[in-house]
Amino acid sequence: MSDSTAVLTGGRVSGRVGALAAARRFRLGGGSAYLYLLPSLVFLALFTFYPIGFSAYLSLFRWNVLNPEKVFVGLENYLHLWQEPLFWLVLRNNLFYALGTIPMTMALGLFLAVLVNQKLGAARNIYRVALFYPTMVPMVAAAMLWVWIFNPGIGLFNYYTAFLGIPRIEWLYDRHWALPAIIIMSIWKNFGYFMLIYLAALQGVPAELHEAASIEGAGAWRRFWRITFPLLMPATLFVFVVAIISSFQVFDQVFVMTQGGPADQTNVLTFYIYQHAFRFWDIGMGATLTTIFICLLLVLIVLVFRYVGRRVYYEAD
Amino acid sequence: MRRHWLTALMALVLVLAFAAGGAEAQQKLLRLTFYYPVGVAGPLAKVIGEMTDKFNKENPGIEVVPVYSGDYDPTLQKVQTAVMAGNPPDIFIVEISELPTLLAMNAVIPLDDYVKKAEGGKYWDDFFPAFRENSVVRGKIWWIPFQRSTPVFYWNKELFRKAGLDPEKPPQTWAELKEVAKKLTVREGSEVKQWGVTVSGGWNDWLFEAFVRQNGGWLINPEGTKVNFDSKEAVEALEFWVDLMYKEKVGPPHSTWGSTPPDFVAQRTAMLYHSTGILTFLRNSAKFDFGVAFMPKNRTFGAEVGGGNLAIARKISKERQDAAWKFIAWMTSSENAASWSLASGYVATRKSAYDVPAMKEFLAKDARYLVAREQLQYAFGKMMAPNFQKIREILKRQLDDAVDGKVAPKDAMQVVQKQVEAVIKR
Amino acid sequence: MRTWIRRPRLDRLATHLVLALVCLVTVTPYLWLLSTSLKFPKEVFTPTPQWIPWPVNLGNYAEVFDRAPFGVFLVNTVIVVTGILAVQLVTITLAGYVFARRRFRGAGLLFGLFLVQMMIPIHATFLPNFLTLQSLDLLNTRVAMMLPFFASGYGTFLLRQAFRQIPRDLEDAAVIDGCGGLRFLWHVLVPLARPTLVAFALISLVSHWNDYLWPLIVTDTPDVRTLTIGLGMFVQQESGADWTLLMAATAFVTAPLMVIFLVFQRKFIESFMFSGLKG
Repeated sequence: MSDSTAVLTGGRVSGRVGALAAARRFRLGGGSAYLYLLPSLVFLALFTFYPIGFSAYLSLFRWNVLNPEKVFVGLENYLHLWQEPLFWLVLRNNLFYALGTIPMTMALGLFLAVLVNQKLGAARNIYRVALFYPTMVPMVAAAMLWVWIFNPGIGLFNYYTAFLGIPRIEWLYDRHWALPAIIIMSIWKNFGYFMLIYLAALQGVPAELHEAASIEGAGAWRRFWRITFPLLMPATLFVFVVAIISSFQVFDQVFVMTQGGPADQTNVLTFYIYQHAFRFWDIGMGATLTTIFICLLLVLIVLVFRYVGRRVYYEAD
Repeated sequence: MRRHWLTALMALVLVLAFAAGGAEAQQKLLRLTFYYPVGVAGPLAKVIGEMTDKFNKENPGIEVVPVYSGDYDPTLQKVQTAVMAGNPPDIFIVEISELPTLLAMNAVIPLDDYVKKAEGGKYWDDFFPAFRENSVVRGKIWWIPFQRSTPVFYWNKELFRKAGLDPEKPPQTWAELKEVAKKLTVREGSEVKQWGVTVSGGWNDWLFEAFVRQNGGWLINPEGTKVNFDSKEAVEALEFWVDLMYKEKVGPPHSTWGSTPPDFVAQRTAMLYHSTGILTFLRNSAKFDFGVAFMPKNRTFGAEVGGGNLAIARKISKERQDAAWKFIAWMTSSENAASWSLASGYVATRKSAYDVPAMKEFLAKDARYLVAREQLQYAFGKMMAPNFQKIREILKRQLDDAVDGKVAPKDAMQVVQKQVEAVIKR
Repeated sequence: MRTWIRRPRLDRLATHLVLALVCLVTVTPYLWLLSTSLKFPKEVFTPTPQWIPWPVNLGNYAEVFDRAPFGVFLVNTVIVVTGILAVQLVTITLAGYVFARRRFRGAGLLFGLFLVQMMIPIHATFLPNFLTLQSLDLLNTRVAMMLPFFASGYGTFLLRQAFRQIPRDLEDAAVIDGCGGLRFLWHVLVPLARPTLVAFALISLVSHWNDYLWPLIVTDTPDVRTLTIGLGMFVQQESGADWTLLMAATAFVTAPLMVIFLVFQRKFIESFMFSGLKG
């Protein structure tokens, strides 16, 4: 049992121990658990597992514009990708994109949630809307807006950074800056989600803990790291996993803003899949890439659960 | 209390959803679905709606239901999905390069029989040859030109004046273009305030094809079996392009298709290569006088075409196909081709459309819309081949790399040649 | 150990300052959007940014409604997102509960499968899902736009984390008192997880409000279509975009979400006090 729950429940022990043990045994029953999962599983089976299975199956075929009848080729598609330099460039782009967006979005979400959680009066409502609203803008519209904002000549971004003395960057007109442009846009678009999650999680952090700690003389920073942050670990695990998944799923921004260019510098896995499945009409290869996509993510998530998940501190355990 | 309220709400929503979304009542009408994209700005969904309404009124036994399907890409996906599900739309419009894909999917029927009988045999010849090219594969006509465009050259007369150039004389040749662009590029320190010329990115492969045509070359033969990327003409075209962007630096090496028209309107670029489809946008947004011209020539004027064509699905009954043809023939009559062109800014696909009074009247007021038609005499069909999209990506990649100086034009084109040959054979 | 003298006013001021700055940067694109939506085409692309639209053009909004039946689209969107959310709340609460509390065979694997749902790119699913809906004869319906989303790995995961935060002792005590399983879930856990449920509700509403490709593929007629499809009409591959109309349409499409957000956040998150575990 944790210290904090002891503080709150006053540690009722002794006579209840036997009864508690009995209750725990009851809880280990598995039968009705599956019943609870049934509604979800029905929909998942139809709309998630069937498509994935379909993809995995198709990945073993050569089925494209030049081969309108599908031909079984086993793992040939996978082998072809292994040897394709563009595939590795695409993965590299995904990596850069992930490194660019994940830490920043998580940190911003957490930082702003903590700030907004203070007693700020009526202004708080305004702050929350202002910070969350980018998530509300439909991606297509947001992407077009940012194409304009990033326009090197007439866009807002360069106009205002010029005042700060920053040299003009050509953004989407420059092969080195197109991906950073998309990264910036994505951070703006998504940090609101994480802020909201952290805000909700912060409601579960008892104010008494903070008061007790500050009475004992702990500064704001220390209070945060020693008390708040550990209690937020379940939320952080969630946010981290979601951030990884959503970094892989970037598509609309690339589609609208760069179409993978210039010179494939913003070509990410989802766009690469799209090109194969729908532009090249290479269904076999599209399915192969989709299967790889899912496997990659699965591996990453498993790793995250294993290394970070172990360290997550659950109030209840 | 709260529990009941919530359950009631859920029930209500689900009931509403099921009830309101049910199947439509059966009618004795032949109902055809028509998937179409909207590729240029304007109230085009409305216009299509009005046109189909008119057709439906004039043809009581047929009801064409127009289905807005997004942009070119989503429309293709919607069509592909429906075809794969065995339930294709009866009529649809898709971007012209996709014909090989449609053929591979066995999704469309040849229209020769219909076309031969239409308008007493004079129908097909009335279409501009450049537009007809992308309809014919293996000797058969597969679809009819409908919303077509071609790249043109825009120039800012006011900026010409400021630079001491004759505002009524756009550059006619590549050499002139280079000279003029140098005079029109304005720098403040190391920053470019105004580009001389912008060759829009995004569909830069489309524009590159035009450059090759201007140099008297070709890239893919009409059958889609031979490619000519490493030819002298193509290499020279790329060299010229690289010269402008990398050596002389009179134009941005990369850009996006959607952001260069605003650049032109905001006077950040004095000259622009882009589609005729933006002419109306430029007219409405620009505060200065600008002109439209043929793209400058080298050996000859040259261009190719773009846009979408009307097709009839294969796996539908003959009765529906006949009705679909009626619709297509109606939509592509001279009158309707003219009114569609006027409403959308697309180039009218038929010669006789230009004799329609409304069209004549309009062109009298703004002759700039005529330039695209005039350029058609030098235009060819857009490159087509099975796997064209893949070829396109290979080409774009090398174009981008060459323009950044990462690869010499000659080597770039050889890479394209090699990779494309491999793709065509796969 | 340093004693920290609390200076609440300075703390508050600093917080306000930082937040205001961040908000300003975040909000700027939206202000730009609003400004553009009120401009005439000739005033939009100026060499330097003009913030105040002059002359003011209210016609863009009217034109947006003229182009497509946005009123109908709005109603449809509301129906679809609330339908999705209503069912999701049920499925994720049930599933989140068992993953948080119960030990059973295959729990890890099953949870993994739920997570996989978050990972699927839409382009991988729309064709098989289209085929499924066709066989259910549900094409071109609002239900079709909802069905694939009724189960939510995201929500299940989120609730699992939230439920695991609540001490086990509570449930043990409740079981002993005769209130177990579903009743405990409904009467105790759900109220305690309310901030998380509200957060999820907001996220689900927002994300399905903005669904584009799936509704486009699975519907044909305007009577069932949603806002984003209408919005898509203002973005075109060949000419870029109908800028003023796109901005006006976007403002219209996001406005209801803003209102919902303001209402919800005030009612639930703000007034909620951490009281569940006291006594």
